Amino acid sequence: MARFFLRNLFSMFITMLLVSAVLFFLLEVAGGDVTVRLLGVFATPAQRDSLRRQLGLDAPAWQRYLDWLAGSDWRAQQMTPFPLVTMPNPQTGEPGWWAVVDDTLTRWRLADGELIAMQRTAEGEETTTPAGDVWTIDDAGNAIFWGVDVNNNLVKWVRGSDVDVLVLSKAGVRSETGGPQQYIPLRKGILRGDAGMSLQTNRPVSSTVFSRAANSLILAGAAFLLVMPLALVFGVLAGVNEGKLLDRIITITGLGFTATPEFVIGVFLILIFGIWLRWLPATAVFLTGDAIFRDPKILVLPVLTLMAAEFGYVSRITRASMAEVMQSPYIRAAFIKGVPRRRVIFRHALRNALLAPITVIMLQINWLIGGVIVVEVLFGIPGLGAYIYDAATFGDFNAVAAAAMLTVFVAVLTRLIGDMLYTYLNPRIRFA
Amino acid sequence: MTTTTAPPELESQPGRLNRLREALAIVFSSRTAVVGLAIVIFWLAIGVISLFWTPYPPNAQLFDPNLPPSAVNVMGTDHLGRDTWSRIMAGTQVVLLKTRLATDPRVVIPGGVAIWGVIGAVLVGGLLGVNAGYRGGAADQVIMQVLDAFIAFPVIVLYLVIVTALGRGDVIVILAITVTGAPGVARLVRGLTMDIKTHDYIRAAETRGESKWYVMLWETLPNARGPILVDAMLRVGYAIFAIGTLGFLGLGLPPPDPDWGSMVNDARKYIYSNPLAILWPSLAIATLVIGVNLFADGLREEITRYQR
Repeated sequence: MARFFLRNLFSMFITMLLVSAVLFFLLEVAGGDVTVRLLGVFATPAQRDSLRRQLGLDAPAWQRYLDWLAGSDWRAQQMTPFPLVTMPNPQTGEPGWWAVVDDTLTRWRLADGELIAMQRTAEGEETTTPAGDVWTIDDAGNAIFWGVDVNNNLVKWVRGSDVDVLVLSKAGVRSETGGPQQYIPLRKGILRGDAGMSLQTNRPVSSTVFSRAANSLILAGAAFLLVMPLALVFGVLAGVNEGKLLDRIITITGLGFTATPEFVIGVFLILIFGIWLRWLPATAVFLTGDAIFRDPKILVLPVLTLMAAEFGYVSRITRASMAEVMQSPYIRAAFIKGVPRRRVIFRHALRNALLAPITVIMLQINWLIGGVIVVEVLFGIPGLGAYIYDAATFGDFNAVAAAAMLTVFVAVLTRLIGDMLYTYLNPRIRFA
Repeated sequence: MTTTTAPPELESQPGRLNRLREALAIVFSSRTAVVGLAIVIFWLAIGVISLFWTPYPPNAQLFDPNLPPSAVNVMGTDHLGRDTWSRIMAGTQVVLLKTRLATDPRVVIPGGVAIWGVIGAVLVGGLLGVNAGYRGGAADQVIMQVLDAFIAFPVIVLYLVIVTALGRGDVIVILAITVTGAPGVARLVRGLTMDIKTHDYIRAAETRGESKWYVMLWETLPNARGPILVDAMLRVGYAIFAIGTLGFLGLGLPPPDPDWGSMVNDARKYIYSNPLAILWPSLAIATLVIGVNLFADGLREEITRYQR
């Protein structure tokens, strides 16, 4: 059992690694020019080039993949003698990078050709002083300095350089002379919970993605918990009555629900309950973060939609499993022996019949996730699915990659649990 | 090399007819399959008719926007004043009948996006699966591990990632359907191959000194075609489902040619003023997917019974 578990765990690890590579290279390499999205189509090649360097996109793809996966601070730390640390910003709580110089958190910026050090005191206040002589002479004879800038990059400044840098600021593109020559964007990497900045909102992806996931979890969890008993009961009913009218009705209803796209079911429900009967709100309006708890009514239609999509699948598997068990010799033997039908079904058949659906359901979580995306977009629920969708339509690579990694992780993890559960529940494997 | 006494045409003609009759007999012995087939044929017919005739040009804005159904517009009009029934009719084309290769609407190839997507999935998945199953060992492990990574993606997430990375267009959607479908096909074909591999005729071909590719492509795959075909039918259903969903998300087949999913997405914004406009394309998608599914399901049940 332990060996089986470890082997599965290892396979899951490899899968996640491959998934991350697929995601990264698909999005970063095939994804085209990010600068078009950030600067618009009318920016000059020089502006694009400058921005690319500021985003660290001039580094080779494998390097950026490693940065994205495991962080760039390892690499950056070799450039500077000062330890690089992250500290939460007192206002937003989002982590920012600082260098520790003489026990003080320090960043640098360039003003009128002179380096200025910005220190943060223990009380959280910021003071600025001229940086003084921090320059070192490199092999080519230039005075250089590696320091952390205000945008969480490790930057190489070259003294007296006349290379223009075009800085993207809120007001537009601004030109700075004598500025930074090379950027290493500082990040901890997705393995350590830092998925980088969202290109769309310019805030850390990690700080939004989890609260969004919580909303999705409530939605999917409610649907899952409500539909499971229903689908299992109806599946068993159909399986026991294989070929009879009841079976036909349940099977056809189930097939209808499975074959109908979630958004179509959602649209029908909105039309019936939201527009013609006016019983329930047709869209979810989230004015506050805890809107789900304040007004559970907004969840009714989304949950119903997800339930319909799942019902067909689960009842179908349960039916097949139940029908198969009812055909098996040991059940026939029980009938021939004269065991009452009710007792045969509940004591002998059910246990074996439910083995398959319970585990297969766990394997199908990523199917449920797909439904959640559609339902969230349709009803306007700010969950993880809507987040991926927004990010995908904007072309926000970091956000798409992080959110996709999260969904894949959930899917792979539940699959692992499903495998384990099956092994545990099935005595033939458990005692082997 | 077999030596036949009769000329090949004379022998193969009745044989092929017989096989066709047999296949039809399988279809018609299942009521589910017949119902499914009828729905599919209905939509195919609508699609073919729409190539030559629709009540009004599907992309022309001839009427007032958001009209209710009337004698002039059987299903009303959409938010741009286009006739909904004409657009529903023409909407079958991109799914089943034609694929636009470029932004120029005249560059089209026959066969809809769903069809080409499934063909791609079966080709890629079939090749990978037969290699994994036949070669076994390290090749099998590498192929299956990579495919596992793709299977781990929720399908819609993978669609979104592909669309984010590569943009929009018919060919991109075909690619997305191929990428999401191929791992499943590969798993199926791998299993079938491992079963077929144990048969004597494979041993015979190997002893004859046939190359590995010959054994895989000419000895193994043709004998796995039944289940692959049924699986492909099911996948056409998934593909239509997926195209609808992508269209609904506003990421599907590009305008102006009508696409049911995009029609739902457009009509969604006017659901209060014109609730019926969203109903028609939804019904169209649902019936076509259900039809394909019923057909594939009925076929599968009959074939497994037939094989038993």
